[in-house]
Amino acid sequence: MANRRDPNDPAIVRAPWGPEVDGRRLLAESVGFGRALRAAGLATDLGASVDFARALTLVDMGQRDTVRAAGEAVFVRRRDDREVYDRVFNRWWRRRGRKRPAGDGPAVPTDDESAAEAEDGLGSPGGDEGTLGDDTNRIDGIPMAIESDEDADGEIDGIIAAPTAYSSSELLRHRDFDRMTAAELRDAERLVDLLEPRLELRRTRRYELHHHGRLLAPRTMLRRNMATGGQFTEWIWRRHTKRPRRIVVLCDISGSMERHSRLLLRFVQALSAASSVKTESFVFGTRLTRVTRLLRDRDRDRALARVADTVNDWAGGTRIGESFQDFNRHWARRTLRTSGVVIVVSDGWDRGDPALVATETARLRRNCHRLVWLNPLAGTPGYEPLAGGMRAALPYVDDFVPAGTVASLERLGEILAGIRSSDVRRGGDAAASADAGERQSSQAIRSIAPPAPLDVASDPVAARPLSPRGSTR
Amino acid sequence: MSRTIEPSSNTPLDSVESIVAGFRERDYVCDRSLATAVFLALRLDRPLLLEGEAGVGKTELAKVLAASLGTRLIRLQCYEGLDVNAAVYEWNYPRQMLEIRLLEARGQADRANAHDIFGPDFLIRRPLLQALEADPDGEPPVLLIDEIDRADEEFEAYLLEILSDFQVTVPEIGTIKAARPPRVILTSNRTREVHDALKRRCLYHWIDYPTAQKEFEIVLARVPDAPEQLAREVVAFVHRLREADLTKVPGIAETLDWAAALLSLGSRELTGEVVDETLGVVLKYEEDIRRIRGDTARSYLQEAGATA
Repeated sequence: MANRRDPNDPAIVRAPWGPEVDGRRLLAESVGFGRALRAAGLATDLGASVDFARALTLVDMGQRDTVRAAGEAVFVRRRDDREVYDRVFNRWWRRRGRKRPAGDGPAVPTDDESAAEAEDGLGSPGGDEGTLGDDTNRIDGIPMAIESDEDADGEIDGIIAAPTAYSSSELLRHRDFDRMTAAELRDAERLVDLLEPRLELRRTRRYELHHHGRLLAPRTMLRRNMATGGQFTEWIWRRHTKRPRRIVVLCDISGSMERHSRLLLRFVQALSAASSVKTESFVFGTRLTRVTRLLRDRDRDRALARVADTVNDWAGGTRIGESFQDFNRHWARRTLRTSGVVIVVSDGWDRGDPALVATETARLRRNCHRLVWLNPLAGTPGYEPLAGGMRAALPYVDDFVPAGTVASLERLGEILAGIRSSDVRRGGDAAASADAGERQSSQAIRSIAPPAPLDVASDPVAARPLSPRGSTR
Repeated sequence: MSRTIEPSSNTPLDSVESIVAGFRERDYVCDRSLATAVFLALRLDRPLLLEGEAGVGKTELAKVLAASLGTRLIRLQCYEGLDVNAAVYEWNYPRQMLEIRLLEARGQADRANAHDIFGPDFLIRRPLLQALEADPDGEPPVLLIDEIDRADEEFEAYLLEILSDFQVTVPEIGTIKAARPPRVILTSNRTREVHDALKRRCLYHWIDYPTAQKEFEIVLARVPDAPEQLAREVVAFVHRLREADLTKVPGIAETLDWAAALLSLGSRELTGEVVDETLGVVLKYEEDIRRIRGDTARSYLQEAGATA
């Protein structure tokens, strides 16, 4: 930096907005900022930092908002990152302003900056609570390690599961998973192995050539028959390619499900790990938490441990209605696109308003291709869906399946393979006729009779899924 | 809210301010952070990925940008199953057949070689190729890749290649490279997350709903006949709706539609009856309409009246 004033130095660039600037210095600043963003959890790379340095020579560096917007365009890649970005930027900008009077010369800042900062109320020396002591972490005034900063708003990394509005009745409890035993792991994997080849396929809009296809492939035919001058000598056929449908799992982890949730989560995890199926997973008790990314971890024990750490409404109450509402509003369009299969794992015990459960389940059903409900209690002899939430949701469920043990889960494979599609697609009609109005949905609740009790041991019919219609017939 | 934008006087878009002003001239009101993103995309020659709720003006921005630059807008609408034949190029097989027959009739078929048939004359240029082949001397076109989230991942992977090198290889002809890369705008409604590798090649901007004041300006700019009072009330009401617990909140497009609808109905101000009758322009879900219509709408009107 000593020869910064050397006019022949190629690193000196003249910004259109002010005095000349040392390009190396600018780059160092940008890289430092990028590093701070990465430390805060943003997925940035060196390319973005270089872009930012280039961007800084193009915009007015003295204007806080312009620099902020420039960095945002370069570093931010999804909406949820903006908040983190803003926080890191504010801190970075404050530091830039602060280190200038330390006699380091007018490297990056321009004269406009002090004015801009004064307007923002950030320019006053000592005006913030920043820790001057960690200057040792910086190289030449570049903020190196913002993660060591102990500001009150420091916890910006990782997934934020901050307690929100819910309060009184919510029981926050962390829960540790024991390590999975080898046998348990095998069980879960066996289950998915059984399931995977049987998953229902969705016809995509792409084609493949196939001699059993039903559609002509004119493009290929013309091309192949070019040699004969356009005389068609062979027929070429194509058909739609097929892919497994997306699966979205909503797993209840409330107190009443405690005994089952471990097994079921393992199942969900094994499903997520299977590469051919796109699986999104959520857990809910009193609130909905997305755990897709956590479960994708190759180390299965670590994945479950992370879920346990992230979720903090383990074994508390259940709010099915609110959780579904959250899903419908924020996730359904992004994860389902109406062609996915939703698997709800819950016993249907709910503290909330059954009318809300009915409305939101109907909406959920309209958003997906098929709604499967796994109920761990349904396997017990004499079970009737009397729990308020279960009763409300049942009319909109396509397949109602007992799910207490690995053995009963195997039946799910059959459902997902679409084998029973003729007699179970019922929830869709109910959801289509259900309106948002409370009147209709409460009628819908009343209109279903509780299913007849099933004796699993003796009744061969119990081997098939207990669907609403099947049981009332 | 489609409309034609006259490529009138082209202002040089060489600063953030000139972009704000240039867009304003074409009735597109944008804030500085969006203008900064556009400016950087132009200067750094990078694609710009715009995300935001439906109806906040993502597609419109590309149109306005093309008009401001005085250049052509090439639009590629994405959908599932979009493939190279529909997006990049296709051979004109019927014409090739005719050509073969013609050569046969003239007795020149034996001298014809593949180059005669698989040449540029027989190529049907789809949007991406059009964008790459544009006039090297003129201003490069604006390429709008609309609703990229609707395309499947296979296409996204292909796009990645084009957006990094701005070249396409047609096996029979060779590699076609853009003399000057087109200005690329991608939009997404986030029905799924766009892949990180694609995002890494782009600059990114999330378009938020505008502030009431901004939206008021937008209404006045786009529905110039609307009386100010009406515009103010409509905007205040829509802003109140966005805070409400709805399945789908209205975007700017709905605000504009509503203002235009009210205008054509001859309403000078918002009343409870007018709102009830025209709510379908703003809200597109039966359950939302049912919820707002009637008393709720009237209470919103009072609140809106208080702030307007």
